[in-house]
Amino acid sequence: MGTGKAVDKALTLLRYLPRVCLANIRTNPGAKKCKKRGRGQHGGDKHGAGNKGSGQRQNYMRLGYETGNTPFYLRFKREPYYKGHHLRRQYPPLSMLMLQTLIETDRIDISKPIDLVAILNTGLYRLFPDQQQFGVNLTDEGVDLFKAKVNIEVQWASELVIAAIEKAGGVITTAYYDQHSLQCMLNTRKFFERGVPIPRRMIPPQDAIEYYTDPAKRGYLADPEKVSQERLVLAQKYGYTLPKLEDDPDYNMLTERKDPRQIFYGLHPGWVVNLKDKVILKPEEKELLDYYAS
Amino acid sequence: MASYYQNLQQISKLTTNFLSLVQKRQSTYYSSPLLSEIGKVKVKYSVSKSPEEWKYVERLLPPLTVPEPVPKETYLSEWRPQLNECLKEKYFIQRTKNHMIPVYLKIGQHGIRKVTIIKNIKGDIWALEQELRDFLQKETPKPLRSQVNEFAAYIRIYGDYVNAIKYWLTEKKI
Repeated sequence: MGTGKAVDKALTLLRYLPRVCLANIRTNPGAKKCKKRGRGQHGGDKHGAGNKGSGQRQNYMRLGYETGNTPFYLRFKREPYYKGHHLRRQYPPLSMLMLQTLIETDRIDISKPIDLVAILNTGLYRLFPDQQQFGVNLTDEGVDLFKAKVNIEVQWASELVIAAIEKAGGVITTAYYDQHSLQCMLNTRKFFERGVPIPRRMIPPQDAIEYYTDPAKRGYLADPEKVSQERLVLAQKYGYTLPKLEDDPDYNMLTERKDPRQIFYGLHPGWVVNLKDKVILKPEEKELLDYYAS
Repeated sequence: MASYYQNLQQISKLTTNFLSLVQKRQSTYYSSPLLSEIGKVKVKYSVSKSPEEWKYVERLLPPLTVPEPVPKETYLSEWRPQLNECLKEKYFIQRTKNHMIPVYLKIGQHGIRKVTIIKNIKGDIWALEQELRDFLQKETPKPLRSQVNEFAAYIRIYGDYVNAIKYWLTEKKI
């Protein structure tokens, strides 16, 4: 009965051992697969580009393209509100308060006519002609405290600004400069050192002609007699007595004007300024003289 | 080997011919020939040494340094010159090279953080900070946060107080 005893022992042992169930049996050989260890950042995945298609290949379609549908941006009628806005002329502002400060800190000399060169020479007003900027827009901030008697030439001015300057006994002109002329005015020393002749100023483009021939806007192409008439009209509108220019001790300074072809005061187009020898070279060839006079 | 050198020579001839065909723009100062290369200038011109005309050139040239402002009787703008009266105070704020008060607004975090910074402070910076604190605390219900950097000579105040500080400094004639 030795075997019988052993069987009993085995059976009692089995009674205490845990049952065989799904929890404690080994899986079939080959059933479990080890996870592959990817190399590189983020376990060697798709780098966020996704699986298959244009995403994975990174050949993105052009913006707004809807794979054959009529794109959303063409589906409806629209008005081109901003058509050509990037080509419009810009006039970066300069306030009357800033102008008064420039005068009081002696950055601008009011005993001489103030033009764009004088404003740019302060180094406190920057202009980028290549970004469609065409000069100064004199704005009316600080218009009440402006008292200086100036002969100023800007590219854009409002009626209030014109009135304020004329009330203080000054003169204002609005003048147009083309981009090449503006480039010469940015830094005159650099321009003269280049050794090229002073170019002639171009006439304003078609959409600006109206502004610069308007005596009410004090355009530089307007009839001077009509301008003086408009000065009187503005004085009556704003209710101030117009100071008489003829009796002014600075009459010569206040009446100094540029020719519509001229960029700098006193210097004619076609002249070459030599800063080293302090001489001015003037052309005498008839062909050149005709060109610069035209 | 000989044919190889012949080929090379032919190629070099071709390239020189090609270079002569490359378009050259003579319109600018840098690409135009030198006066020594041209020889005698054929275009008629005159040389003017008139001082009357040169005055107009001098008027155009930008000044190399910032001009010193001449004292005036009245000032209409907000700017005032720095007078000797400012030396009475325990501290001194040096003007910038443009003769302006060195008070600036620094905007950070896409317009959320506004910090006023006063620079170039000499002397007792702590006294200035206390006086500014007394003045500015009236402007705001919030407690004023400021930082004094004695070594770098600046005070930073959290918030936009540029105009208030400039007004206070001009009123005190500092």
